[in-house]
Amino acid sequence: MIEFQNVTYNHQKDVGVNNLSFTIPENDFAFLIGPTGSGKTTLMRLIYFDLLPQSGFVKTGNFSSHKLKKRKIPFARREIGMVFQNYQLLEDRNVYNNIALPLHVLGYPTKEITERVEECIDLVKLEGKEKLKPSQLSGGEQQRASLARAIVKDPSVLLADEPTGNLDPVSAFELVKLLQEIHETGTTILMASHNYSLIKGRGYRILELQNGHLRGNG
Amino acid sequence: MDQIIFLVSEGFKNVWRHKATSLTAIFTLYVTLIIVGLFMVGGENIHKTIQYVRSKYKVEVFYEQDVSDFQAKAIAEKIKKIRGVRSATVIGKQDAVNIFQDQFGEDIFSVLGYNPLPASTVVNFDRNSPKRLKFNAIIQEIESMDGVDVVRHQGILVNKLERYYQKVLKNFPLVSGLIVLITVLVIYNTVKLSVYSRKSLIYSMQLIGATKSFIKMPFVFEGLLMGTISTLLVYPSMLGFIKAGNFIIKSIAHLNMSLSVDPFIWLWLAGLAGIISVLGSYRAISSILK
Repeated sequence: MIEFQNVTYNHQKDVGVNNLSFTIPENDFAFLIGPTGSGKTTLMRLIYFDLLPQSGFVKTGNFSSHKLKKRKIPFARREIGMVFQNYQLLEDRNVYNNIALPLHVLGYPTKEITERVEECIDLVKLEGKEKLKPSQLSGGEQQRASLARAIVKDPSVLLADEPTGNLDPVSAFELVKLLQEIHETGTTILMASHNYSLIKGRGYRILELQNGHLRGNG
Repeated sequence: MDQIIFLVSEGFKNVWRHKATSLTAIFTLYVTLIIVGLFMVGGENIHKTIQYVRSKYKVEVFYEQDVSDFQAKAIAEKIKKIRGVRSATVIGKQDAVNIFQDQFGEDIFSVLGYNPLPASTVVNFDRNSPKRLKFNAIIQEIESMDGVDVVRHQGILVNKLERYYQKVLKNFPLVSGLIVLITVLVIYNTVKLSVYSRKSLIYSMQLIGATKSFIKMPFVFEGLLMGTISTLLVYPSMLGFIKAGNFIIKSIAHLNMSLSVDPFIWLWLAGLAGIISVLGSYRAISSILK
């Protein structure tokens, strides 16, 4: 579950978010739309506690921003999977090791890591590419590797910040389809996008941000 | 346990993954350690050099004609008591005749009908004195003694060496402190640069929920490995430098001495490299994770 209560965060030189209140219940799939600079990324960063609200509070899973100590932030992030427009894969290691990293962070035994990583590689259809470095993959493949890394630890919340921003239409469509499959397993998903045509007509909730204000919520 | 193995192996793999920055850091470590090591070897052997010079330096004291061997022995006893004098060996009048005959093949007594050679004393100095030996003062003291006619010495060079030695001794702690400080700063900044070049990697690790200690540990192991590699490269290089130094001393300068290395220096260098690279990594990564 994601909950915002009267959340405000303003950047020094840029628009942030203003007095946002909304809830995304458990197992829900929601889209967050709005033009560039409308505050989508700020909202996402507030959810994974990269920013803490200047007023109000954000609740993600079992962690709430107003009670959260700085040293507990990594533990809060362990319940969240994240996919970014620029993939944020570690360029110095191969696909397998990128996907396995969150499990090493969580202290999983090696055998279980192997099983889980292989499952995720199958799910995102990257079989045979395990040993390749991110730079050897196409944009769509990199984003699927990034998605596999986000879901390998079985997070309760999955955030996707403009995940299709660098992808061609076919890869973008396939990625959204993958997100839908993941949602069906019970994961709460919030995907930010400014590509309305990609998300319309899917029957999911759409939150619309404009200049840091929530204009549509339904 | 799996996590610890992972963290250690990540640290070691990072050296390979980031070959260029690792090589730069290892090379910088190596060069600074070589400079520190050679300075330490120099410090250790400079005392040896002055000892060698002191052992080779002697002063000949010639007594007046009327000073008997017995009186010469008494004066020699007085000379022995001067600070810095190790021995004073008396060469009696008859010994002088024998030496003359050995050197010139003539019995001076039978040529002249009397012995014109005075008794003398060869003075050697204390080679182990940690303080500067003031040869001029010692010579003046000997010259002022009753019965002493001439004191023959080559004190100018030795005095100069003693003066330089004293200056080195005086400034050694300051200079070595400065060198160690510069070494610490160079190594620390090199390691810091290598850590800073992976800022985005650190950010990605934070996003997937890695704790600060989880992020820090591979960097610390990486620092330790780089320190170890540098030290392992420094050892044979230092031995090579010392060998070359000994070759120059023996074959070119024809001196009967050799440079030595205290085994403690190896430990000191390993400790310096290890501590600085580990602390450097730890502090650099901590400053990014603030």
